[in-house]
Amino acid sequence: MTPVEQIVFLLKAVPVTLAISFLSFLLGLGLGVSLAFMRIYGIAPLRYFSDSYEKFFRSVPVLAVMLLLYFGLGPLLPIFKDPFFTSVISLGIVSGANQSQIFRSAISSVGRTQMLAAISIGLTQLKALRYVIFPQALFLAVPGLGSEIALLIKDSAYSFIIGVIELMKHTDILRASQRSLILPYISSAIIYVVMTFPVANYLDKWGSRKKRELGL
Amino acid sequence: MLFLLDYSTFLINGFIITVEVTLIGVGLGLILGILAALGDIFGGRIIKIIVNVYVEFFRGSPLIVQLFIFYFTIPMITGIRMDVMLTAILTLALNSGAYQKGYLKGAMEAVFKDQLMAALSLGLPTWKIFLYVVVPQALRIVIPAWSNELASMGKSTTALIVIGVREFLNTGISITAQTFRPLETYAFITIVYFIWIYSMLKALDMLYNKIKIPGLEPVI
Repeated sequence: MTPVEQIVFLLKAVPVTLAISFLSFLLGLGLGVSLAFMRIYGIAPLRYFSDSYEKFFRSVPVLAVMLLLYFGLGPLLPIFKDPFFTSVISLGIVSGANQSQIFRSAISSVGRTQMLAAISIGLTQLKALRYVIFPQALFLAVPGLGSEIALLIKDSAYSFIIGVIELMKHTDILRASQRSLILPYISSAIIYVVMTFPVANYLDKWGSRKKRELGL
Repeated sequence: MLFLLDYSTFLINGFIITVEVTLIGVGLGLILGILAALGDIFGGRIIKIIVNVYVEFFRGSPLIVQLFIFYFTIPMITGIRMDVMLTAILTLALNSGAYQKGYLKGAMEAVFKDQLMAALSLGLPTWKIFLYVVVPQALRIVIPAWSNELASMGKSTTALIVIGVREFLNTGISITAQTFRPLETYAFITIVYFIWIYSMLKALDMLYNKIKIPGLEPVI
């Protein structure tokens, strides 16, 4: 393969890497938002659950979770036999703990006073969360979510270890088939930087601008 | 899980390697981070560009790719073949330095701006300003970010299995290959990681609360 063909071969794997990162981000978003609300407004058992979930999955390596689900649970539960699915699930549940923390700090910076004000004008607590607290918290969470997406794009490289055919795997295939140790690694590193850098930077700038505009 | 007792020395050795590379990596990363932060604050245009390229490269790409580059690509270009452990520590240090540069720069700027002027106007010599004004405050400010860095480095060391370092997770893989009991082995490994990293976070949190100056908490 010529160098150009090799780079095209690497680029063909980018959609899979992005799919893993995006799907696990969505799973983490759902988990993170629910955990954050449970932690702040939930009853005692829910609060306790959310707190332990966050502490546990923030202290555990993604790769260990991935191997546990794929090799440990795979033989028992057939759904974990699929490496793509397993890697999305593992990245998602770990990201859920990170995103829970991002949303928790965003919700608490919106402040309890707004909640009290919303209740005093006659909204139920659920409606106050939906229409008053959450829209503002979302803006505050954006910079943190940007770096979380970047983190997921980078961590998706772990899924090559359980055999997902993504960017890292294509790099490895090139190493083995072309006996070339320079071009594949340097170009895939650059591809990763190009994917992560704009997302994190743009969302960080956008978030801070919105924050100023809304006066939060 | 009792079968794991047969492998206890093996597991303990792996765990020691994991702790070792984490602490050495973050320690060397601190030195690199300080140098990079000082370079970015005080350096000229060229130094600033070099620092930023370094930081963006190491923060933007996965640790696995960086390990492969240091294990395969750089020896290929330069012809110098390094020991696996040395490669691992060097890569972790460079990676950690890139992250720590960000925290340290923020902490230094928070202290520098007006206090540097105040200290200079009091007539303190530069080394005294550095020792008594900047460092004590910057270190306090940086602890929360730093404990995050230690935790994420501790978790990232699992990537070292791709170049074959016999760290904790890798011992688990070997044990699974011999015993065919992945569920118990990986569950045990995951729990040990949790205990280790969680207690490290807790300890730094306690340290932060002990030495923090009330009213001077950083606004993040």
